[in-house]
Amino acid sequence: MSFRQDGSWDMKKRKIRILVNTLMILTGISFLFPMYWMLNISFKTKSEVYDNPFGLPKEWVFNNYADALDKFNFLRYLSNSLIYSVGTILITVFFGSMLAYCISRMDWKNKNLALSYISMGLIIPAQVVIIPLLIMNRELGLKGTRMGLILPYAAFALSSCVLMLYAFFRSLPRELEEAACIDGCTIYQTYFRIILPIVKPAIATQCVLIFMNTYNEFFLAFILGAEDRIRPLTVGLLNFFVSIGVSHWGQIGAAMIITSLPTIIVYILGNEQIENALTAGAILK
Amino acid sequence: MKNYFSNKLAIFIFAFPALFLFTAFVIYPIFPELLISFQKNDGFRNMGYIGLENYIDVLNDKTFWRANFNTLLIVFLSTFVGLPISLVLALTMDRLSDPMRRFFKASSVFPAVLSVTVIAQMWIAIYEPMWGLLNSILRAVNLDKFALAWLSDSRTVVLAITAAFLWQYIGLNALLFYTGIKAIPKTYNEAALIDGAGFFRTSIKITIPLLQDVTKYLLVLSILGSMSQFSHVRIMTGGGPGDISRTVIYQLYYKAFSASDFGQGCAIAILFVIECLILTFIINKFVAREKIEF
Repeated sequence: MSFRQDGSWDMKKRKIRILVNTLMILTGISFLFPMYWMLNISFKTKSEVYDNPFGLPKEWVFNNYADALDKFNFLRYLSNSLIYSVGTILITVFFGSMLAYCISRMDWKNKNLALSYISMGLIIPAQVVIIPLLIMNRELGLKGTRMGLILPYAAFALSSCVLMLYAFFRSLPRELEEAACIDGCTIYQTYFRIILPIVKPAIATQCVLIFMNTYNEFFLAFILGAEDRIRPLTVGLLNFFVSIGVSHWGQIGAAMIITSLPTIIVYILGNEQIENALTAGAILK
Repeated sequence: MKNYFSNKLAIFIFAFPALFLFTAFVIYPIFPELLISFQKNDGFRNMGYIGLENYIDVLNDKTFWRANFNTLLIVFLSTFVGLPISLVLALTMDRLSDPMRRFFKASSVFPAVLSVTVIAQMWIAIYEPMWGLLNSILRAVNLDKFALAWLSDSRTVVLAITAAFLWQYIGLNALLFYTGIKAIPKTYNEAALIDGAGFFRTSIKITIPLLQDVTKYLLVLSILGSMSQFSHVRIMTGGGPGDISRTVIYQLYYKAFSASDFGQGCAIAILFVIECLILTFIINKFVAREKIEF
């Protein structure tokens, strides 16, 4: 929108616009290029990666994928990752939403204290308590079980879940419960049948957010999930990389593509929802 | 209606499970951690209380200070290089045409949804000395003398890891800034346009000050995230060459799980918490003023 009708000004503006657009496209591509490069490498033989790292494969080989799948138990790690993510979502969203509702709607003396208490989780990184967590897992008999990872994941996901849902519950009118009360609903029926369905979008956002965080979590899984049987993708993939060294980049590329494929498909299908979920925290009041 | 909302049993049933889980796995572990930090502990047994010895050992350890330097360097770079880049990208994103913006949004968040293992391994390929992307570009523009072995050169290794880490989250942070920009009512910008203010003036005088809340949120997020950096280091260099690229959390991991000294590991964790609290305090002191209501 230019208020000056001077021709040279408009020319300058157009040039700037073209320059800015070009720069932004280049930046955008720089975020995508490495993945394309890995895809490209995954079709090359071991030696072609060194001789011709960027051009299209001279000789297309597809057995990198078969070889990678052979050495690397993709399905086991994938199912572990899914179990961790879904388990964490179920526990966090179920209990977290109940606490958020309780703090925002019900009348009790220490509810503000409870809110500050749960907010403390936002400034305690999980890395800090890894040693006591490991000892606790050992003592509770959770070591080597999937629950030993899901419970800490859920506990650390609670803070942001409760705070975000708290903001949503607070914006609902009290008439909802009043009407339900007159109709003879108990508080549990009101909560599960009337209130929860209303905040479904916020719950969905939470699910996406927790899924992304848990599916890509590395540190806790690296330490607490030390047994191959219960490793998620992030850690299983690292072990695969370490085991084949840096010698066979074709297979490394193939493993990267295989493990990223589920994420890429989900992201292509729902990138707007994912973007909205990832940014929901920024405009929370 | 009143006893509907103050039904004691219902309050307990609603509040207890989450508070219990949170207390058990987030808050409670800090107490055994404090206790162990005063013990000689090999990971399985308490071999007696030794007062402040663990803390003294940690503070006398050159590697710990090196790790602190690296961590604070990563925090510094993500705060003063990463976040400003994200902000500029967000401001530019606001001026793009719709299809351009959709492309940019989708591509810039892409690295953040991939797993850190994939990203870090990808950057190993980018830094590969012989055929890696970075050195190939440098050779192509005749800067051969800058084509270093990025991850095994002690001068560049921390910067190289930080670049990979920043690259992964710069787009997501830009999107977070952009979400904040969109939440600012259009009238502010229109008023500035009528007054004849251009892109730079509007950004500096209006948009950026009104982004205060988002900025604070991102500062906390990115400072805590870079403070607890471990995974990129673990995957890209394993703390090497030698112990040069260790971060504080890597040092904690090394002491506890490679050197089997839980006592020193816990002492590092406690010192780390204190550092995080100081940083959070600084942010709250200097960045937050009153909340902005539109």
